[in-house]
Amino acid sequence: MYRGKSITELRSLLDSSEVTAEELFSDANTLAHRFQEDYNSFVTILDTMKYKKRDSLLDGICYALKDNFSTNGILTTASSNILKDYVPVYDATVVRKLKNAGAILLGKTVLDELAMGGTGTTGHTGVVCNPWDKKRMIGGSSAGSCACVALGIVPFSIGSDTGDSVRKPAAFGGVVGFKPTYGRISRYGLFAFASSLDHVAMFTRNVLDAAIVTDVLKGKDPHDMTTLANDEKNYVSLLNQDVKGKKLFYVKEICGIDVMEQSDDLELKETLARFHEVLDNIRKEGFEIEEVSIRKELLEAIYPSYMSISCAEATSNNSNLTGILFGPRGEGDTIEEIMFDARTKGFSEFIKRRFVLGSYILQKENQEKLFLNAQRVRRMLVDQMNQFFQKYDAMIAPCSGGPAPYFDATSEKLSDRYLILENHLAIGNFGGFPSITLPYGFVQDMPVGLNITGRVCEDDLVLAIASHIEEITGMKDLYCKVGE
Amino acid sequence: MIEVEKLKEYAHKLMFDMKEEEYQTLQEEFSTILKQMDLIGKIEGIGDVCPMTFPFPNPDASLREDEVGDYLTVGEVLENSKHQIDDQVKVPKVVREDV
Amino acid sequence: MYEAVIGLEVHCELDTKSKNFSSAPNFFTEEHNTNVATVDIGLPGILPVANKEAVRKSILTSLALHCEVPNEVIFDRKNYYYADLPKGYQITQNTKPMGVHGYLDILVGKEIKRVFIHDLHLEEDTASLEHYSKYSLIDYNRSGVPLMEIVTEPCLSSADEAVTFLEDLRDIFLYLGVSEAKSNYGQMRCDVNISVKKKEDSTLGTKVEMKNINAFGDVRNAISYEIERQTALLSKGEKVIQETRRIAEDGKTYSMREKVDAIDYKYFIEPNIPSTPITNQELLELKQQVPVLKLERYLKYIDEYFLKEEDAVLFSKNRELSDYFEEVLSKGADVSLTVNFMTTCILSTLNKLEIFLKELFITPSMLSEVVKLVSSDKMSLDAAKKLLYEAIDAKKDPMELVQKKGLNQINDRDVLSKLICSLMDQNLEVVRQYVEDGNMSAVNFFVGQTMKTSNRQANPNLSREIILEELERRSDKNGS
Repeated sequence: MYRGKSITELRSLLDSSEVTAEELFSDANTLAHRFQEDYNSFVTILDTMKYKKRDSLLDGICYALKDNFSTNGILTTASSNILKDYVPVYDATVVRKLKNAGAILLGKTVLDELAMGGTGTTGHTGVVCNPWDKKRMIGGSSAGSCACVALGIVPFSIGSDTGDSVRKPAAFGGVVGFKPTYGRISRYGLFAFASSLDHVAMFTRNVLDAAIVTDVLKGKDPHDMTTLANDEKNYVSLLNQDVKGKKLFYVKEICGIDVMEQSDDLELKETLARFHEVLDNIRKEGFEIEEVSIRKELLEAIYPSYMSISCAEATSNNSNLTGILFGPRGEGDTIEEIMFDARTKGFSEFIKRRFVLGSYILQKENQEKLFLNAQRVRRMLVDQMNQFFQKYDAMIAPCSGGPAPYFDATSEKLSDRYLILENHLAIGNFGGFPSITLPYGFVQDMPVGLNITGRVCEDDLVLAIASHIEEITGMKDLYCKVGE
Repeated sequence: MIEVEKLKEYAHKLMFDMKEEEYQTLQEEFSTILKQMDLIGKIEGIGDVCPMTFPFPNPDASLREDEVGDYLTVGEVLENSKHQIDDQVKVPKVVREDV
Repeated sequence: MYEAVIGLEVHCELDTKSKNFSSAPNFFTEEHNTNVATVDIGLPGILPVANKEAVRKSILTSLALHCEVPNEVIFDRKNYYYADLPKGYQITQNTKPMGVHGYLDILVGKEIKRVFIHDLHLEEDTASLEHYSKYSLIDYNRSGVPLMEIVTEPCLSSADEAVTFLEDLRDIFLYLGVSEAKSNYGQMRCDVNISVKKKEDSTLGTKVEMKNINAFGDVRNAISYEIERQTALLSKGEKVIQETRRIAEDGKTYSMREKVDAIDYKYFIEPNIPSTPITNQELLELKQQVPVLKLERYLKYIDEYFLKEEDAVLFSKNRELSDYFEEVLSKGADVSLTVNFMTTCILSTLNKLEIFLKELFITPSMLSEVVKLVSSDKMSLDAAKKLLYEAIDAKKDPMELVQKKGLNQINDRDVLSKLICSLMDQNLEVVRQYVEDGNMSAVNFFVGQTMKTSNRQANPNLSREIILEELERRSDKNGS
């Protein structure tokens, strides 16, 4: 009954007492159960609500939380067998903030195991399906969080974004995915994948809602040294700031006309053609858009560098998963044996491969070539972006070369295909730039998304630009009406 | 090409094992990523760049004042452990006394 | 013809209120798992938050050891799997330790030896394991306690040098107030690396490691035993095996395991702790907080103050005592009298009352006033000591007591002569013993009587002088 409504819409219904928080929760809970079998958004659906009324825009609003955020007393598995029975004893900072804002947790959502992956297919409780087409993936790793917003079950959900884990699935699900500046939102309680790249991010169905959620979540946290001081800005009220004449750029090698013309992939052609149409419309509304060029070799280095840095950090970050103090205890006669057994049984093959790769990269004799060179590429790309940001306010790009892939289309094996267009969003993580995905159209009846990435700390400007583009495309408050 | 035996050794150092066929897949992946990393080494000017750990220098980063703050009860510490004696975590006898 | 080459890795737990990367309390307790925060047990989602005071104390130590200090604080991860390491990595410093290229001069016998410091870094302690016959138990209280590691160059050559270095290092920790450094609590522990080679050889011999030795006595035994063992092997033409050994209660070392290839700890910069700058201003302020250290004070006491060896050792070893001593002197008190007062009245009082110097009522300036009473002959040493004890008991300024009781010394020649003459008149028999038999004990008798009658206020030296004069005068009179 309240399916598909945005935070803003639900707010006014709550404020005018047309609905109660209890009714909203019960409605969302019913929807969650109804779509669980087909789409598998959730690891855990909560059937009782925990709620204290607060004076906040999020008061009484239900949300879903990726199952890699620590929730006191609520199972948190990171969609991995190694944590399948883990019940945390503390709340992540975002969870605490949402509680304090009166938001109501509906459930914990499925992710790619330990957030390492981009398909939504590797969670220990099964595959997450795309609401727009069950034969396609929703993308990952924040798969369940995206699916439940795309299904209209909740108006917003929390995810984490290390390479594109919110912004890519958002594109595939036809919703908004926003990753603020690194350090804007505390990571305390987010199970680390790659600490220097991990961001707390969110799914909403419009840009205004993303601003509302960010206003609640942002701020300095004494538990996270990497958090930024409060910027004393209200992103909601800054959404309407004047963005006329703002300068955007797109990178020729990522999404220029050449890429379209040189490809024989019809999906890609259509996706890019639609993107350039949108660019024209945006120009008409007073934005300046120019094409810039980045060395192709540098762009092709994004993915391997991302793999190198993220796998290296991940190997270390997940060394705490030994089954000694938490998680299923392994069998054996020595402590080494029980750790070995717990980890052998607890991680899927895919995760193990990433860990071996990451640890190889960190070996003394390989660090220079594999790890430090990746970190050098990171700096080169970030420096390049910052150079552009001296002249331009934001980068605009399509999130992918097409709509969500079919399940059998790609495997998680490393491959050379679509090296640039499918992986460029990691630039946002390399530099910690605020970066937002919003739908810009449909290709083959599936939503496609574009991305705006701006200067570090200028979250308000990125949101404002996105909000104006949202008006121009008219692609707002989308959700998949399947089952209605 | 990295030998499967080496990959096994690496996996074991990370405290897990994999199936034989999984090592094959891993071997292929290694050659892909190593090829890509080779190319990275050839990027012009890469030698002059300082490796980057943090996305940007955080102007607001500061050390914590030395004050006692939140910490856990014994019950919370051991909440997820099914193997306890005398408020401690029980493990098989540790024999290797190095590191 | 053989010589030992020894390097030490010294671990010292820092004295802070909270842990290095969490705000759980940092103190030793028998209550298991009670000083533990989420960070200390490596729960998923935790982030380290570095302790400013631990950083300050390690930089301070670094400066005291003449190290170069970096311009920023960053940490690294050292990755390995072990039961006492819940995160699976230890946060430590590899890229930029708190100090590098330092040294500490120590006095071994009569020689000053410069011990070179490779680096000083700040890290975290591990959980503690208790081993039983069938299982082990983990207590996480110690996990995350700030730990400072000081690594020397392999430049020590004997057990004496090693132990002196450790003792001096501990005194520095205490001087700086960075740690209580109690080795029986494991707050100070040491790894010893030792090899033996022919004197003329330029390459080092095969290294043996001994880890986590707490007591300095064990360090001495372990080194002595190893030098003997390795030398014996080499003289027989046998090889020393590269291995880790442990010291047993019988003072001998036993092999634990042979060294396979070195563990690759896969160090990388800890991404959760952003770099924080160490400014020149901060460094300057810290430098000013480094006091003059033990050896320098010792040498000053010997060379400038001409203290006896044992007194110089005593006063330089403890910073509180040394500072107190120097403050008394800075008020112009005589050195040897000050030493006398401190080694007797002050130290015995501290022992008797079982208090620290800082709890003593007598301030350095009070003591210096008392010392000056004696050196300016206003009071006898005995009387001054008595006064000091009284002041300690009464918790009163000794000079206040002097004024109140009129305890000042009688230095007036006429007053004393009058008193002494009357005493002699009352004791003619004693005078006769001197005059007729030349019995010198008569002098002491009259000094004693003078002191007694004057309520110990008579200047004893002056009294003795007058007594001798008067006795001589009476002898002359008798003889003439």
